Amino acid sequence: MVGRYLLVFFLGAIAIVMASPLILTVFSSLKPTTELANPPWYPPFDVTFEHYFRVWTEGKFNRYFLNTVIISTVDAIVMIGIASLAAYALVFMKYPGKALIQALFLVGLMIPVTAIILPLYSIVRSVGLVNTHLGVIFSDLALAVSVFVFMFSSYFASVPKALHEAAKIDGATEFQIYWRVVMPIAKPAVVTTALLEFLWSWNDLLLRLLLLPSDKMRTLSVGLLNFQGIMTRDVTGLSSGTVIIALPVVLLFLVFQRHFVRGMTQGAVK
Amino acid sequence: MASVELRNLSKSYGDVEVLRDINLIVEDGEFVVFVGPSGCGKSTLLRMIAGLEEITAGECLIGGQRANELSPKKRNIAMVFQSYALYPQMTVAENMGFSLRLEKRSRSEIQRKVRTAAEVLKLEALLDRKPGQLSGGQRQRVAIGRAIVRNPRVFLLDEPLSNLDAALRAETRVEITALHQRMDTTMIYVTHDQVEAMTMADRIVVLNGGVIEQVGSAMELYNTPASIFVAGFIGSPKMNFIKGRFAESAGAGTIGIRPEHFQIRNEAGDWTGEVAIVEQLGHDTILHVRVPDAGILTVSLDGQHGQRVGDQVHLSPISELIHRFDNQGRPLPTRN
Ligand SMILES: Nc1ncnc2c1ncn2[C@@H]1O[C@H](COP(=O)(O)OP(=O)(O)OP(=O)(O)O)[C@@H](O)[C@H]1O
Ligand SMILES: [Mg+2]
Repeated sequence: MVGRYLLVFFLGAIAIVMASPLILTVFSSLKPTTELANPPWYPPFDVTFEHYFRVWTEGKFNRYFLNTVIISTVDAIVMIGIASLAAYALVFMKYPGKALIQALFLVGLMIPVTAIILPLYSIVRSVGLVNTHLGVIFSDLALAVSVFVFMFSSYFASVPKALHEAAKIDGATEFQIYWRVVMPIAKPAVVTTALLEFLWSWNDLLLRLLLLPSDKMRTLSVGLLNFQGIMTRDVTGLSSGTVIIALPVVLLFLVFQRHFVRGMTQGAVK
Repeated sequence: MASVELRNLSKSYGDVEVLRDINLIVEDGEFVVFVGPSGCGKSTLLRMIAGLEEITAGECLIGGQRANELSPKKRNIAMVFQSYALYPQMTVAENMGFSLRLEKRSRSEIQRKVRTAAEVLKLEALLDRKPGQLSGGQRQRVAIGRAIVRNPRVFLLDEPLSNLDAALRAETRVEITALHQRMDTTMIYVTHDQVEAMTMADRIVVLNGGVIEQVGSAMELYNTPASIFVAGFIGSPKMNFIKGRFAESAGAGTIGIRPEHFQIRNEAGDWTGEVAIVEQLGHDTILHVRVPDAGILTVSLDGQHGQRVGDQVHLSPISELIHRFDNQGRPLPTRN
């Protein structure tokens, strides 16, 4: 019995330590300015949403939020299409040069973004896409496509080959097999891709900082920097901005949690 | 309906030749079974006819036309896979109607054809279920149903019964034979089970190591096997092969005697041995008899017999039914 209490106490302590940054952030986002002198672990005594309104309107988070939603949504949807089609071609089709293509995707998997950020910038600039959402979207897709091609590939590899052959004999074209036979059973992979790509795109700072200099194109992650000058720091603005950024992602994960875990472990067990 | 003709067909994977110089004509409406041990190339040959596997050399003709370059769709064949390969997200009706839907047939026509096939296969009650909600036997029927709704020219089946239990297998075997008689379609059926081959086929093609050993009716293969391999493969229990003294006195390298071609005699003779194992099956009795210079012989006797392990028995082969083979395993003419 004592052991059990000890365990609960121990785990509870860990949970509090893990959650404390989040809790403190929420606390300070809800504190009126007068309470800021209190130590950060004091809960807000006089809860206020004024900082959220301030960040949303004066901080232009309304604009940034829209920009971010557009980029992340397009990223996620297009990524599902591109990655699944590429993986389908790699897993189910036969053609010369397949090994080379596979190797190129592998290379794409190994190169870190920071290593190619400057050439990437000059390419985007040379095609005139700096300061456009399209430029960011293309870059996002190109940088992450390898990961999702491999994820879809490993999922498709667990689909029995006979299923593909049966559909061929039934008279389906490759695209019909992709669309009507393979994709309907790849839902876990689709959900995982959508969530992960959305999350990465939502949280990414580096590319946006570089490719979207104009204020009206900015995303939330860049907008948050406005509250942190060299000399000043707007703690309440920073906190409520952080909560606004985190909230949609947390909600998405709560809704799709079960699919997500299944997608991650699929292919591994089968 | 169509005939299938294979001319000097070969298949290699890289340097490995898995099928060599296959020549075969399957007549329109015929039921042909490919039989052979695991890895002999049965599935590969069937898949080449289906268009799922490229033809390395030679020609495959379907309905008299060269089909080497045709896609599976254009060959107008249907295939039943060993694993059934049903589309998991579609209902039974959708599975069966998928090929018709791809052909853009009208909804009412698809419904009518699926219903007809479902009646034949007693699947009417299951049409709205998904494959995951079916038993193995029911899945197998759906796989056959998916093949017959299209009314294909040639029907290919790759070990369709191997995932069923023995009772269901025997039952479905009869149903497939009946189905063939009703549809009158050319059927090519792959199995490694010689009982399936003998009971179902108009003609049996025995494959071994990538070549055709013999083509013929079940009785032709049983009575006049073209090689030791065929002699040993066809018939159950297996033929006894005896070398040494007994073979020499018959003027052969090896002699083969089917278990059912031994008789029990009362007086001692050459073939006297000790019973090692007794298998009582009711309608027949199988003795395993240790005979000096011949090894352990399998003897199948009609009806029920009282021999026990350790008993001495005197065997006598029916001499005109002894198969003689030379040292290469080729049959020698029967002596009278
Ligand atoms: N993709 C491949 N690459 C290389 N070798 C292959 C390939 N597919 C089949 N083989 C070889 O071809 C031979 C024939 O295979 P096949 O599947 O036709 O045998 P089978 O007679 O159907 O056997 P089973 O009764 O076990 O199904 C085997 O030796 C197999 O190893
Ligand atoms: Mg096989």
